[in-house]
Amino acid sequence: MTTADASEALPPRAIARRRLRLRAGPLLSLPLLLLLAVGFLAPLLAVLGFSFSEPRSFALLAHPTLENYETIFDPANTVYMSFLWSLWFAFLSVCILAVVSYPVAYGLAKLFGRWANLITLLMVFPLFISENVRLYGWVLFFIKNGVLDGGLRSLFGFGIGDLLFTPGIIVFGMVYTYLPFMLFPMTLGLSMVPQEAVEAAGDLGASRLQIFREVELPLSLPGIIIGALLTFVLSVGAIAESKVLGGQAVIVITHDIEIAFTYAQNWPLGAALAVLLMLVVGALVLTVLRHLDLDRILGRR
Amino acid sequence: MNVTRRDFLKTTAAGAAALSAPAILSGRAWAARDKELNILCWEGYNSADVLDPFRSAHDATVKAESLTNDPTMINRLRAGETNVWDLINVNNPWARKVMYPEGLIKPLDRATFEPYFDKMLPMFKPPYKWAMSDDGKELLGMCQRFGPYSFVVNTKKVSRKTAEDQGWDLWNDPANAGKYGILESDDWNVFDIFLIAGINPFVTHSDADFEKFDTTAKKVFKGAKVVGDIATMNQALISGEINFHMTGGTYSASPARFDGYPEIRGVTPLKSAIPGKGGVSWIEVTSTVANPQLSPLATQFLEYVQDPKVAHTVAFAEGTFNPVAQMANKKCFELFTKEELDAIQWDSLDEEMERSAEYDIVPDYDRALDLMTAAKREASGG
Repeated sequence: MTTADASEALPPRAIARRRLRLRAGPLLSLPLLLLLAVGFLAPLLAVLGFSFSEPRSFALLAHPTLENYETIFDPANTVYMSFLWSLWFAFLSVCILAVVSYPVAYGLAKLFGRWANLITLLMVFPLFISENVRLYGWVLFFIKNGVLDGGLRSLFGFGIGDLLFTPGIIVFGMVYTYLPFMLFPMTLGLSMVPQEAVEAAGDLGASRLQIFREVELPLSLPGIIIGALLTFVLSVGAIAESKVLGGQAVIVITHDIEIAFTYAQNWPLGAALAVLLMLVVGALVLTVLRHLDLDRILGRR
Repeated sequence: MNVTRRDFLKTTAAGAAALSAPAILSGRAWAARDKELNILCWEGYNSADVLDPFRSAHDATVKAESLTNDPTMINRLRAGETNVWDLINVNNPWARKVMYPEGLIKPLDRATFEPYFDKMLPMFKPPYKWAMSDDGKELLGMCQRFGPYSFVVNTKKVSRKTAEDQGWDLWNDPANAGKYGILESDDWNVFDIFLIAGINPFVTHSDADFEKFDTTAKKVFKGAKVVGDIATMNQALISGEINFHMTGGTYSASPARFDGYPEIRGVTPLKSAIPGKGGVSWIEVTSTVANPQLSPLATQFLEYVQDPKVAHTVAFAEGTFNPVAQMANKKCFELFTKEELDAIQWDSLDEEMERSAEYDIVPDYDRALDLMTAAKREASGG
């Protein structure tokens, strides 16, 4: 029976009810759509518009130009270095986070039992405190004659040397800050690996390493990828780590954008940099998402 | 899901109410601004110690947002926030050279406010240049906090005399690479890189000047141990990570000094490329915004902070500690303890202000900032 046939067979009141039901979805989503249009889309469009405005002007698209993009792509401009640093830091952070988080996520999903909730709480707890405050806490910990260096000197007679204000400490800061964003999707991914599949692999003679490589890792991969995407996007947009812990030892792209919007009073250039960053990150994320089945991750299948 | 007409109407009504609430509130705000005051300022004026007595006295809602650089605040007005703010508190050149010509601020009534300048320290004698419009006719703002702002040293590592004598050449000495920091304050850093390069920042520059500026910026940022905010600089000075830092003065050193580290000291060099001056100073000017519905409390607040007790509170509000123009008034000066005077380097304030050129706008600032930003980038990674 076709849909048309079904409609013809229904009494008029039922048809009206059905039509109202069909319209209810779009109608109810209208306030949210409006909110998204005003709060999400409009600022993005403003940024896009500014990126085509005259350099150092404050009028949106008064004289549209490509000059900002030309400035960025000028071979003499070194802003590409900031892009590369940001992408490199984000890549390193994601790799380290994946290695660090996997064992903890495995424990949370499979081993810790009733302790899992407490450990989850401990992992979430730092998120209640401002990121900057936590990073300044690390400065006091790592600074010369600080908690670590001073403690080691008084106890063992040697210090730690120059740890703070280096590129390495920036990556440490990113790993520390974004750990929960990798850990929890990963835990979710691992908790979706059926115990029966692991047991079956064991019964069929697979070694522990084979079970990990051929059962657990592939089945938990969606969680790992979601965690990796989340932490990559957050790390690429990070600024506090390089400013507070890194002492600006490296200028990341978000810092360049900030300088353009503040001291340089060059909103159009800042907007063009922001648009390019969104494009780069968006392209990377979309490429990964094309190979990812969200329904499966959310357990609908 | 079955949605009845009644349910639908209820939902949309609630949604519409939620969406229109800000509009309704702002409409109310437009109607009555006599109990509302919004201040865009450097930190200190947003302190509860300063604002609470004013709030109680006027039964008013006073909001103050603090930012730590002038261009951002001015951009907020340019972006259309003249409708939001009543007062803006920035450094000296912006009112007369930028905000008034661009129609972002309104002049004050000279008859009411100029007499206050008579009671300030001698340097503010009316008509005080930075509070006046270019043509000298309009009073554009009120003055309060000020201070010398060149660089800061740990006198246990570099004596005050050495710092004053050697001055900006501290950064030209290769032996100092890795021993200094740079305060994150890009507009001031532009001045200071020019001064290290032996060039007056406040004149129009030649290509040769910019070449020298570029080389100097690369060298200075390459040799910096850390670039950061005031807290980071003070922490790095106290811990021994650095011996001195570029851009700084009473404003940045006073919290460390007040905390028991008198060896942290703002220094104004004896000489520099600015004729007759060794460093740079700042003076805040607070102006009424060109708000179409300016709160009547704006001018009342400007008078309120002239009170000796309030002026002392402003000087020692949270964050940083600074001298205030009202210290000329005995009633105000007597409120400062010896520790407070030490923190703001009262002993050398006069001579340092005398030796400092007043903060001004660099005519070709954009080009210099671009070169400096590129130099910072090039120094990335050590």
